[in-house]
Amino acid sequence: MWGSITNRLILVISLTIGTIIAIDMAIDYRLSRDELLMRLQLESEETISGAVTDLETLLDSVESSTGFLATILAQREYSPEGLEQLLRDLVALNEDIFGSAIALSPGFADQSGGFAPYFFRRDGTIERANLAAQDENYQTKDWYLEPIAQGGPVWVEPYFDAGGAEVLMTTYSVPVYRSDTDGNRVLYAIVTADVALQELREYMKRLRLGEHGFGVLLSQQGTMLVTRDPANLMRSYKDAIRKPQVIAAFEAMIESTSSGRLAGDEIACAAIPGNCRARVGVLETTGWPIGIIYSQDEVLAPLREYQLRTALVSVSTLLIMALAVSLIARRLTAPLGMLAEASDQLAKGQLAAPLPPATGRDEVAKLVRSFSAMQRDLSQYITNLEEATASRSRLEGELAAAREIQMAMLPQGGSASEHQPGYTLWAWVRPAKTVGGDLYTFRAANNQLWLAVGDVSDKGVPAALFMARAISFIQQMGATAPDVALASLNDALTAGNDNCMFVTLFLGRLDLSSGELCFASGGHAAPIIGRGGIAQELEQTTGPALGLASDLTFPINTAQLTPGDRLVLYTDGIDESFDEHAEMFGEDRVIACIQEGLGLSAEAAGEQIFSTVDSFAGNAPQSDDITLMLVDFRGKHPGHQHQTTFTLNNDLNRNCTAWLEQRLEQAGVAPDVIMEMVLVQEELVTNVAKYSGLPASETVSIALEVGSAVLSLEISDAGKAFNPLTESERAELGADIDHARVGGLGVHLITQFTSSQRYSRENGRNVLRVTRNLPSA
Amino acid sequence: MELTTTVTLDEARSVARVALHGALNTDTAPAFEQRLNDVLAQGLALTVLDMKELDYISSAGLRVIFKAAKHTKSEGKRLAAANRKPHIDKVFEILKALPDMAVFANDDELDEYLTAMQEKTRDGE
Repeated sequence: MWGSITNRLILVISLTIGTIIAIDMAIDYRLSRDELLMRLQLESEETISGAVTDLETLLDSVESSTGFLATILAQREYSPEGLEQLLRDLVALNEDIFGSAIALSPGFADQSGGFAPYFFRRDGTIERANLAAQDENYQTKDWYLEPIAQGGPVWVEPYFDAGGAEVLMTTYSVPVYRSDTDGNRVLYAIVTADVALQELREYMKRLRLGEHGFGVLLSQQGTMLVTRDPANLMRSYKDAIRKPQVIAAFEAMIESTSSGRLAGDEIACAAIPGNCRARVGVLETTGWPIGIIYSQDEVLAPLREYQLRTALVSVSTLLIMALAVSLIARRLTAPLGMLAEASDQLAKGQLAAPLPPATGRDEVAKLVRSFSAMQRDLSQYITNLEEATASRSRLEGELAAAREIQMAMLPQGGSASEHQPGYTLWAWVRPAKTVGGDLYTFRAANNQLWLAVGDVSDKGVPAALFMARAISFIQQMGATAPDVALASLNDALTAGNDNCMFVTLFLGRLDLSSGELCFASGGHAAPIIGRGGIAQELEQTTGPALGLASDLTFPINTAQLTPGDRLVLYTDGIDESFDEHAEMFGEDRVIACIQEGLGLSAEAAGEQIFSTVDSFAGNAPQSDDITLMLVDFRGKHPGHQHQTTFTLNNDLNRNCTAWLEQRLEQAGVAPDVIMEMVLVQEELVTNVAKYSGLPASETVSIALEVGSAVLSLEISDAGKAFNPLTESERAELGADIDHARVGGLGVHLITQFTSSQRYSRENGRNVLRVTRNLPSA
Repeated sequence: MELTTTVTLDEARSVARVALHGALNTDTAPAFEQRLNDVLAQGLALTVLDMKELDYISSAGLRVIFKAAKHTKSEGKRLAAANRKPHIDKVFEILKALPDMAVFANDDELDEYLTAMQEKTRDGE
């Protein structure tokens, strides 16, 4: 499910947009942060400048008021009451002044303890205290001694005013000098003005510093006058901070503010985690460092909050978008799922599988429409294919039947083997396709053997049909001379031959007594004669091929065969067969091949020629029909040919046996062979009587020929077709008595006692020929 | 050729000797079968087919012998052949006929066999 387009879309889009938002937010945060911190710096500078200005103004006014009083005292003489009045007015008129004192130098005081009136504020009123009345002499106080030591006005280090105002304060002390009678400059008094540190704190508090921000005011000695934690007041900042790095940072900042500029740094916050920003300036009046410290996190908090809100909004947006993408993608891909299901069904052969509805013009709808068209076309295609296949297999069936019919037109079904005392004939036609245009035929009559081998132009069905025409003409021909027969055959084939099919034909007549061969050739290859171990072509004068023009004449050729000669007829399918490199077999190879086979029987030699041609051709398909006919001429032995018929009555076997024994004895055949042939004959004749279905009045024909090397026996009858060699019962030999069958022994005897056995159905007759090779004398 | 059949019964030894003379073929087989069946009906322990004068045998004749062999075996009796001529032997050989049938090459073998059998019977008594 995770691999679905919908989920991948959601994942990819969400990741992409999420990443973009995250990057945006990061950049935004960075920029905003920098800007905020920049603004913070500016703001803090402004704040601290403002604070400095305010404090300076305060201190300036204190200084100037005090200075003014000092100036007056230096020049005019006041009564103690007058002095006190001046002092009271100063405090009353300057709100920033917490308290003020005039401490006369002991030399100028009337009283022995000195004169030091002090006015200060308490609860909204101005009270008076006499510093001279205190236990500790005021002339030992810092505020008294320091200005003397400095020789000018001084801001005294802050202190707790014990016995006076009882508050933390700092004092501005101004020495007042007069000239004595000698003109010497002598100290008259010290005028002071106190500033309560509380006052300064109020100032600092007005600064907007946030929850964790605070202002710091230090004295010149580093004592904290204003700070966040009241417990740290009046302590050295170094003691309060304790962190060496922060102390060092502050030291550096204070150092760099000595020139009057502002300094700033980032330091670890004191009370909260995180970093704080510190800005430090200096009060020129007093030389006091003043600083403000902000929490960076606090400053950036709104930014963080903003970022969080943005993130929340982004996540919600992403979720909504994922939902939308999911809806759209599901709508788009739902038809695809249905299509996938439909194609699965299609693959299983269900061509009518339902398709999703194709609405709209989007790509999916187009796909659905294409799929639908494909489904329709496929269905049509399969229907067509089925029809084509059916018609093709019908055609193949027809062709197979046609082949059988065509082969049946040839003697012995296209593969003939004829053993006769005067000759042996072997012939085979092998079409290149199912049916072909090659033909052969032979017929022995009146001591003459008629031979024909032909080759119709082209191959396949047209050639086969023309071949059928040709062979039926040939088989109908009478015993006219070959040249005359060829001329009349040519006329017959020419008639109505608009397709201009033609046939090359050898037609010969062999006189079995004399060995004279008369033949005529209609454009056919010359026959080859094998004699004395040498094979060579017979010279011939050939006429034109048959079927193209009428009223032609054909030359007659004659040759004399002697016993032992082999006559070979063939069609050009042999010499014009090609190997894989398109090389032709050629006539020379044909002749060599025939010569090689001269020592073999006609059958073995014929098969050898075929296998030679086949191995030459290799994987190349047979290009043309092939026909080969071998005739071994042995000559005639007159007087050893016998024929008779016997009726199928009870005396049948007796008659046959007597006839056969007598003929074989006359021919000088050995007694054991006679006994065995009688046995064979009995089995054959008994079969006829048993299985032919003929009534006892019918006959069986027996023909016997005894040659020098072979004798042949032919039994024929007009009964129903029955091939005893294949159809009769055949007992399993060697079985023990319990399992052996009683019948079916005869066929074993026939095959054991003869050299060849062949059954054929000829002209409505069962013809069974057996031969027996005779031992050479 | 005709077939002459001579039957000699030796009831003492429970042996029938059937001598064949001539040809056992399609024509002569039916009569011979009848004759042989008559002999077998006697129920003797051993029936010997003496083929000394048999010149010819075809599958029809073999069929008769086959049937007789089956019959005697089912009856618990025996059928044997004696004195087969070479060419008759060849026919039997070709057909691998009756491999378990006792075959005696000549009369001496047969007599020996009969004597042995008789002694055995006597011992049994």
